[in-house]
Amino acid sequence: MAKRLVLTSVAILLAVAGLLPILAMLVKSVMVDDHFSLAFYQELLASGREVTLMRHSMALSTLTTLFATVIGLPLGILLAKTDLPLRQLFILLFTIPLLVPPYITAVSWFNLLGRDGLLARYLDPSLAKTTSAWLFGLPGCTLVLSSTFLPIVMLLTIASLKTVNPRLEEAGQLVAGWFSVLRGITIPLILPGVLLAAMLVFLLTFGEFGVPAFLGYDVFPVESFTQFSAFYNFSAATAAAIPLAVVAFLVLAAERFFMREKTDQLRPAPDGEQRSFIGLGPLRRWVLALVSLLCLIIVVVPVLALLLQSATTSAYVEALNRAGHSLLRSVVYALVGATLLTSVGFLSGYLIQTRTLPFWRSVDALTIFLFALPSTVTGIGLISLWNRPWTNFIYTTPAIIILGYLAKYTALTSRITVSTLAQIPSSMEEAAQVVGAGWVRRMGVIVAPLARHGLVAGWLVGYIFCLRDMGITMMVYPPGHETLPVRIFTLMANGSPQLIAALCVIMIVATLLPLSMLWMVFRTAMRGGAR
Amino acid sequence: MKMVTFREVSKYYSGRAAVRDFSLEVEEGERLVILGPSGCGKSTLLRLVAGFIPPDSGSIAIQGDIVAADGQIMKSPEKRGVGMVFQDLALWPHLTVKGNLAFGLKARGIPKKEREQRIGEIVRLVQLEEYIRAKPAELSGGQQQRVALARALVLQPRVLLMDEPLSSLDLELSVRLRGEVLRLQRRLGFTLLYVTHDREEAFDIGTRVVMMKGDGRIERIGSVEQVRAYFQARATASHLIRQNLNDRSA
Repeated sequence: MAKRLVLTSVAILLAVAGLLPILAMLVKSVMVDDHFSLAFYQELLASGREVTLMRHSMALSTLTTLFATVIGLPLGILLAKTDLPLRQLFILLFTIPLLVPPYITAVSWFNLLGRDGLLARYLDPSLAKTTSAWLFGLPGCTLVLSSTFLPIVMLLTIASLKTVNPRLEEAGQLVAGWFSVLRGITIPLILPGVLLAAMLVFLLTFGEFGVPAFLGYDVFPVESFTQFSAFYNFSAATAAAIPLAVVAFLVLAAERFFMREKTDQLRPAPDGEQRSFIGLGPLRRWVLALVSLLCLIIVVVPVLALLLQSATTSAYVEALNRAGHSLLRSVVYALVGATLLTSVGFLSGYLIQTRTLPFWRSVDALTIFLFALPSTVTGIGLISLWNRPWTNFIYTTPAIIILGYLAKYTALTSRITVSTLAQIPSSMEEAAQVVGAGWVRRMGVIVAPLARHGLVAGWLVGYIFCLRDMGITMMVYPPGHETLPVRIFTLMANGSPQLIAALCVIMIVATLLPLSMLWMVFRTAMRGGAR
Repeated sequence: MKMVTFREVSKYYSGRAAVRDFSLEVEEGERLVILGPSGCGKSTLLRLVAGFIPPDSGSIAIQGDIVAADGQIMKSPEKRGVGMVFQDLALWPHLTVKGNLAFGLKARGIPKKEREQRIGEIVRLVQLEEYIRAKPAELSGGQQQRVALARALVLQPRVLLMDEPLSSLDLELSVRLRGEVLRLQRRLGFTLLYVTHDREEAFDIGTRVVMMKGDGRIERIGSVEQVRAYFQARATASHLIRQNLNDRSA
């Protein structure tokens, strides 16, 4: 009884946080002066502007997906399967761009390649003009977003490789060299995971607002946001949001149809400890040089550019004066958001993994759809639903931001729970049930402690994504409640480059510091446990 | 002629010996069965011959060529002329039967015409002609075993390694497939290193049997008759001791 009640409540909470706002937005889009009308959709289809936006959005998403996959797949294989030195360090470094808001990476490239950037200052101003023109547009957006989302492909490739039964590769090794084994056996086997990663990159790029807005490239989310916040034209904003929702829905439906069973099979392989590594032999130092160069270009140089640009104490003092409160708010909202996401994700993940209630599939589909849905759409939906006199207790308080986080990011914590629970035999909970423990006790004493690694990982992922979120927060934050990413974005219009760079560095530190602290605590605990 | 030679081979996992001071010579065309309980290092021996892992000490030679010694692999698996049937068969699930058989031939650059011919011959030999376009998941357990065997044999290896390949089958099918393995070995003449924990299977397949102890050492080596006699003697002794104890307690 308690189980049914709790899990149903979680499903209702997710529906209220994510589904109702989208429905409210759809209803509002077909109502003109309190009457049903499709005029606005007819206008949408007739408009040439939409075609341009669609072309831009598709070009940016396709190119970003292509680059992230073409680089991320071999990189993941190199870091997971070869004897390349410093593999763990490279994995950490390459993951950094994913952890910080993408527009911060855009700012750092601007500091490097912009008209008044470091290149112009220290090398050649005429060359900087060319690079600046190149940065502001499709190539620049592709560069920034490819480096941001590359870790998704890299990490999912590494995770997928762990699901391959080592015997399948060994059977190939008996008759062929590693290159043929990778091409003919390993890569086809991990293809579902790689395609899943490519799909995520496509959808995240399609919904990305900050980078194209900063680099001046017109895509749907920018249009939607501009129409909404600059002109407060709800119809035009929804017009730009609807195609985003439709594309997200179609891509997910295709993934469900073609790949679902295959991606569900991504579970750690048995006897993974007997995995064989590819010896790079004499190529080792060249591959190391190549990977180091890539790391230097897409991770180290952008961070260095920010550090150099902000290298004065006064910049940091001013940054803390002007955005100290926003930083504090960001951290508090991220702490609350991560804790809620962990709880809701854990329970919804439990529902999905155990298939306890008949609507588990709907909950799974809803969380994934909401994650894939561009933030601007979720934001407009939340405002459509809660902007009423009698729901001001949500609309005018940080509660609307937290609801946005829940809608957008539950899929992450839920999926982490699903893969964690898949590795815990169901007999663990059944054994507790047989001796008479109720569901709440079983969850508290057996399931949650066994899944603690997944819970910690889920909390960290939740914290990072809430902290770096700009899309939803930008749309829904009540006056006086802006977070640091939003504050940085608004200060870009009139703040000095030194100030913006200092704020970006503070943002990176605020993201990475708790992560490193928790990682150290976790490592110490693991070592203690091993002893 | 010596086909495989182990010289004082040891292999450790996390400080625990899987194989210890193992020395043995396997003759060309011989059917050698390695018999022992779980965890006694039987599979590790096959993985050492295949080249997936190096010995921590000692050396392994195939036809007189040292292929691995003292932590070093001198010859990678694909260059050893060895075929293997894995315990879980390890059939590539995304490829058809033909794809599974063709993979190694393609990797060796064998022309299409010869490839087709060799695949045709081997599927006839293991009676799988009608399943050539099927994926492994569409086949029965026995058919999957035959595909695994055909895949290992299509490259005409000098040595075939079989790691408890029949352990997951019911007795009747297992006995039938033992007959097929023997038929193929006699016809193709490869050297067979066969790992099992099943005594009857060992006696059916082998010409010589190596019994392993739990600590990775050899307990006894002998012909099938010698090892069978040893087991009978051990069973008789144990029976007598039990009877003696019963008499005393009575």
